[in-house]
Amino acid sequence: MNKHLMHCATLFLLLLAAACTRQDATWQRIAQDGVLRIGMDPTFPPFEEFAFDTVQGIDVDLAQALATELGLTTEFVFLGYDGLYDGLAVGRYDVLLSGIVPDMRRTQDFAFSEPYFNAGLVLITRADSAIGRIQEMADRTLAVELGADGHVTATEWQRQFPDLTVVPLASAEAALQAVLDESADAALVDNISAQLFLAAEPALIIVDEAVTVEPFAAVVRIEDEELLRRLDEVLQKVAESGKLQQIISHWMRP
Amino acid sequence: MSRINRLRDKNRDFRPNATRFSRILALILLFAFIALMRPPAPPVTVGAPQTVTTTIPQLGVHTRLSDEVEPWKIKRTLQLAREMGAPWIVEFFPWAYFEPEPGEFRWQQADLIIDHAEAQGLTVIARLGLTPYWARPADTPDTFLAAAAYDDFAAFSAAFAERYRGRVDYIIVGNEPNLSFEWGMQPVNSADYVALLHKVYPAIKMANPDAVVLAGALAPTLEPPGSANGLNDLLYLEELYAQGADNFFDALAVHTYGFTFPPDAEPGPDLLNFRRVELLRDIMIRYGDGDTPIYITETGYNDHPRWSLAVSPAERIRYSADSIRYAISNWPYVDVIVLWKLRTPYPDNSYRDYYTLVTPEFVEKPIYTELKRLTGNE
Repeated sequence: MNKHLMHCATLFLLLLAAACTRQDATWQRIAQDGVLRIGMDPTFPPFEEFAFDTVQGIDVDLAQALATELGLTTEFVFLGYDGLYDGLAVGRYDVLLSGIVPDMRRTQDFAFSEPYFNAGLVLITRADSAIGRIQEMADRTLAVELGADGHVTATEWQRQFPDLTVVPLASAEAALQAVLDESADAALVDNISAQLFLAAEPALIIVDEAVTVEPFAAVVRIEDEELLRRLDEVLQKVAESGKLQQIISHWMRP
Repeated sequence: MSRINRLRDKNRDFRPNATRFSRILALILLFAFIALMRPPAPPVTVGAPQTVTTTIPQLGVHTRLSDEVEPWKIKRTLQLAREMGAPWIVEFFPWAYFEPEPGEFRWQQADLIIDHAEAQGLTVIARLGLTPYWARPADTPDTFLAAAAYDDFAAFSAAFAERYRGRVDYIIVGNEPNLSFEWGMQPVNSADYVALLHKVYPAIKMANPDAVVLAGALAPTLEPPGSANGLNDLLYLEELYAQGADNFFDALAVHTYGFTFPPDAEPGPDLLNFRRVELLRDIMIRYGDGDTPIYITETGYNDHPRWSLAVSPAERIRYSADSIRYAISNWPYVDVIVLWKLRTPYPDNSYRDYYTLVTPEFVEKPIYTELKRLTGNE
């Protein structure tokens, strides 16, 4: 048994040493070049989009803020949404930052940072509404985007609150407008649509509750542990300084 | 470090340890004891025969049940197909699952699916493919099917056709052979697919003379000749006809997607939309094969928020219903219209999840309800 344990321990140490070598190599290369290469699909406003000859958005500014904290400059590499993980796997960039929701099935090959935005569903009401939480939706009218995730969740809620009236509308904006027009008591939409709409409509508020969690996180290759550690460190710093919220508020405008 | 990574590291940090091993063993024994004490779960019965009520008898759905483990989920999925008013299903029966060793057939899962489908009053179209390890060279993907294994695949197809004769009379040979991804990551070659049909068609017919053998199931793509990814489906179909493939199928399986176009958008050889079917049909007529029916074995719209070929959820609902209406009104040569796809056993965590009508947890999406309405079931 002891011999077996010794073999296991030796194997573990060898694997650890191999992993450390690769991890150091990646971070060392970044530190040596002074450049953090970031992959993204620039078709997802307000997180990333092309504007004339440049790319802009929350992920772009966040990448620059993180790189600045790390003493690096940024280089953006663009790829279609379907190929983003593949681009990272083959080393076309060091970090994937493109509104990516962590996928547990990919954790064998990739590691995810702490989340920096929740894009899940939120409940929106008028600022003067008595609704303060989901449980108070019984006997109310709820506007949703026809066919979207909010509609599916609202249908589930109807089992819990049979008196809940669900009003499917053509878009998330239409659902939010219905709340503003008082034809609905609340709307259940994704947080991005909500934030964009609310930036121009202070009469509406997000009920202080994330109905579903769809976190956006940065992605690195699984062996790049040092890079991940440093990214998490500066991400926390950027969040605590208020810079992250400042970036989000800047781009979440109509 | 994020919670996800901490969880992963926690798992990675596990090392043999006598105390821990004893605790785990004790826990396993405890769970085993509890499991033994519990009354057995009631068996899932097939139930009384049902019939599909529908105003659209051509409608079908893909069911993806070969990877579904629990019998009640198989039954529930097929119930949902019936309740939606879809009398047809396309189900994938992977060769590698059912003949894991040469000549050793394990039909249990296929039996289960077909028993339940039959009880729900559904007509099954079987898609056959996926090469077992023993029928392909080492280090090749499971979509790799070399000419040397065509006889083996034909033998499997015949065994399937014979076993389910009178219960499954519609069989698709392969899937999207004009894509490298589906052709073993090799350059596609229509001559190889024709050679495959030469072997498989007579084998199925001998086992079940009433079988309707479907060929093609080509992927809609604009890949030019010489592309590493595949070949334009119009060119590929031309090549099939030029090589006399029409003697080796009874109906043409067609995959057509609207992508971002409404269903009535004009077709064109240089774009992909729902009416691409009409261009494929033109080729069939040009080769004197106008009497052969088309079975649309994959169609649908996607409403993923990020995918560039998706539409909004509201558009998806409208376009899906309109595409079915369009096909019925304008394409008398189309016998079946199968939507991709009713449900998957587990999420794919990609845009592909946004093709489904029902979630893995059996939550019916609004598009499912709308299609139910379309068939007069809501």
